[in-house]
Amino acid sequence: MGLNYYTIKKNILEARKLVIRATNIAGSGHPGGSFSMAEILGCLFYKHLKYDSKNPAWVDRDRLVLSKGHASPGLFSNMALAGYFPESELDTLRKFGSQLQGHPDLKCPGVEFCGGSLGTGLSYSIGMALAGRIDDKNYHVYTIMGDGESDEGQVWEAAMTAAKYKVDNITAFLDRNFIQQDSYTEKIMPLDDYLEGTDLSEMWKDASRWKTGDKWRSFGWNVIEIDGHRIEQIDAAITKAKATKGAPTIIISRTIKGKGVEHMEDNPQWHGKAPDSDVVPIINQELESQFMIAPSIIAGDMSNLTNEVKRCISGRADYIHLDVMDGQFVPNKTFDHVKIKELRPLTVIPFDTHLMINEPIKHIHDYVDAGSDIITVHAEVCDESSFGEIHDILKKNQVSLGLAINPDTDLPYWSYKFLSSLDQLIVMSVVPGKSGQKYIEDTHEKMNRLKPILKDHHFSGFIEADGGVTLDNIGSVFMDGARAFVGGSAIIGQKDVRSTIRQFRNEIMRARRKTLLDKANQLGGSKLVMKWIELHVVGETQDQIKKIAQEAGYI
Amino acid sequence: MTDMRSEYAKTLVDLGKKNPSIVVLGADTTDSLKTSAFGKEFPNRFFNVGIAEGNLVSLSAGLAVSGKTAFASTYAIFLPGRAVDQIRNGIAYPSPPGKKGLNVKLVASHAGLSVGPDGGSHQQIEDIAIMRAIPNFRVFVPADTFAVTKLTQLMANEYGPFYMRMARSKTPVIHSASQEFQTGKGITVREGTDCTIAACGITVRMALEAAESLQNEGISCRVLDMFSVKPIDSDILEKAARETGCIVTCEEHNIYGGMGSAVTEAVSELYPVPIKRIGAQDMFGESARDNEVPLLLEKHGITSFNMIRQVKELRSKL
Repeated sequence: MGLNYYTIKKNILEARKLVIRATNIAGSGHPGGSFSMAEILGCLFYKHLKYDSKNPAWVDRDRLVLSKGHASPGLFSNMALAGYFPESELDTLRKFGSQLQGHPDLKCPGVEFCGGSLGTGLSYSIGMALAGRIDDKNYHVYTIMGDGESDEGQVWEAAMTAAKYKVDNITAFLDRNFIQQDSYTEKIMPLDDYLEGTDLSEMWKDASRWKTGDKWRSFGWNVIEIDGHRIEQIDAAITKAKATKGAPTIIISRTIKGKGVEHMEDNPQWHGKAPDSDVVPIINQELESQFMIAPSIIAGDMSNLTNEVKRCISGRADYIHLDVMDGQFVPNKTFDHVKIKELRPLTVIPFDTHLMINEPIKHIHDYVDAGSDIITVHAEVCDESSFGEIHDILKKNQVSLGLAINPDTDLPYWSYKFLSSLDQLIVMSVVPGKSGQKYIEDTHEKMNRLKPILKDHHFSGFIEADGGVTLDNIGSVFMDGARAFVGGSAIIGQKDVRSTIRQFRNEIMRARRKTLLDKANQLGGSKLVMKWIELHVVGETQDQIKKIAQEAGYI
Repeated sequence: MTDMRSEYAKTLVDLGKKNPSIVVLGADTTDSLKTSAFGKEFPNRFFNVGIAEGNLVSLSAGLAVSGKTAFASTYAIFLPGRAVDQIRNGIAYPSPPGKKGLNVKLVASHAGLSVGPDGGSHQQIEDIAIMRAIPNFRVFVPADTFAVTKLTQLMANEYGPFYMRMARSKTPVIHSASQEFQTGKGITVREGTDCTIAACGITVRMALEAAESLQNEGISCRVLDMFSVKPIDSDILEKAARETGCIVTCEEHNIYGGMGSAVTEAVSELYPVPIKRIGAQDMFGESARDNEVPLLLEKHGITSFNMIRQVKELRSKL
């Protein structure tokens, strides 16, 4: 079974957009804390949580307790996507007569806990878990707590209680975003260590200062520490937590408050504030502009792919791109599913398998079983029937579905009917078969030609750029609409993968900031551009964005 | 004289045998409250959370929302007195569709001044006021062990949040085993036509003694056991006001917000008559050894002698 990566990712994006919409209309609410836990909720709602939105009181359902209840827009937006109520109902958030109260409330069927008063949700969850044990039920209780919330002594009363009763049908998440209402948690009441200055990144640099996990371990909990915005890490942690018997598990998820919107990120101001209407379209575009970097390991040392995967891990790659070549569809031969299976235990980072092989339908099961999370097949070697079959197999196995087209191939007509459920489209910008080629400049024009077709057929997946992507052209490739970027020799061929990926990210960020300024300028001229710039108050971003705006002549 | 705590715990064990959904929780006072007996009988339905009252209340809520009938007990001073947020936001407020609050019964012992030697820090004289102010909660103050048994059974059978406050010391028998108890229905424990004393808990016995003395002086005094402080029995109060013309209330609780206040509110809206509230006069208690508890109560005017005096004073103004 794959990770269901793109399905989760797409829903997280939609949920974030709904949070913006709902809090904007309500005029108040808590987007910051909704965004820091967005990936956690995504992994629960679209992968792990057992529920029936048409029968919210189903007795065997898993329970989701949002102890940090102020982040209700995050919960409600996912409940809407999951079908508990229509999305339009989110427009009633915090309004008189709405079932969507300012804090989660049992008034709304499917909500498990009346949040609002912090520090009580874990005790309540233990009660639910113990009831399940008494009744011999298999349901699992998931509880999401905030780090500011951990100031409350009752959290630690509950921690002791869960350990005493060996409550193993509960998994708690600590949404460790380092910000509470007044300021940074490490200033108000440190969980790790006191923060002397105002640079939060200080807290990330020295692992010996991280004490939160130790606290929970000393309370008798099974502790898993992860990056709370990495879908694959959340997924793996949940799987591990559920397999742990005899002790409760807490997944300490390091997150970023306001994650996904640069001016909200790590900014205490956005703990409880709604965005203005004039910036909502810009925010939405920003949310749609998230991107992934996927090093292609065949550009490295083919005799030691294990090491190449390890370099991707330490480089913090989003995916690992695996080019499978059969010597027939392309002249070269690389490796097959056996190799992938061998590499799989090395990491939970999604395997982005690109099948450059003839008759992919004959081999698709092997690549699913090998542990691929995304499988892309070539349009040149598929037809409507075989691709339909591949479509069904991958969806059934929660593997994301990709289609690739060569530089001289147009999107075939038969593929249009699949576009709405296609997760990834690779528009090859080199002739497939070997790494180290130059980007084919015509691809820019091809991408623009594809845009209306994709839009008309409701494509909601991600475009992956593959071939000749370098630091010099990655910005323009992003502007063409690509959101995933395969880097062969440009990344894996470099000595320091980590700093190279960072450079790639910086270049994309620059392009992204420019497109958002374009949007601001188009919607509201220099006034809105200035407003957008001034929203960015953390670190040096404001100066950087201002410079881009000046260069563009917007201000 | 019998012991309310033992009776409460014994009733829980009986109920637990018939009703598997009953769970019992305590906070390091389960020996004192005798609920450990339930734990011996049903170890998987009994939880001792340690000295952590907020945790006690929230955990009970989680069990209740999952279909359990949760009885959570400790001393009064630590229940409403300490965990009011968890009670308010965790039990009273959450209302599943078609229901009001969660199915948790908070049963406190050691309420009021009669706690004695532990002193003012442990003498909870505000709990009725606190619990009465919280929507969806019903509040009981039993006068004897028959009442404790019947009310415990009633709470087990009736959905929703309840608070029951019990006294620490042994109490005399007031009612008979056949006495019926209903939510919102006071009990006329003695008929009378010239005045009414409304009492609850340990003051019911004092009220009966006062009525007996008044009888000797030719004053016919009605005595009401207002064990259901919320909802309060407006009918029985209106009738008493109409028929007897004045009411004295007496409780081991602050005069602000307690049973006396509840009676006054009801009577003033329905049929205003002179009322005198006896109770702690907005001041805290203090230590008193068991044999000195009457002195402590006397300091606050909680005696049958004071009831007699107040009845006479009220009647003199009529």
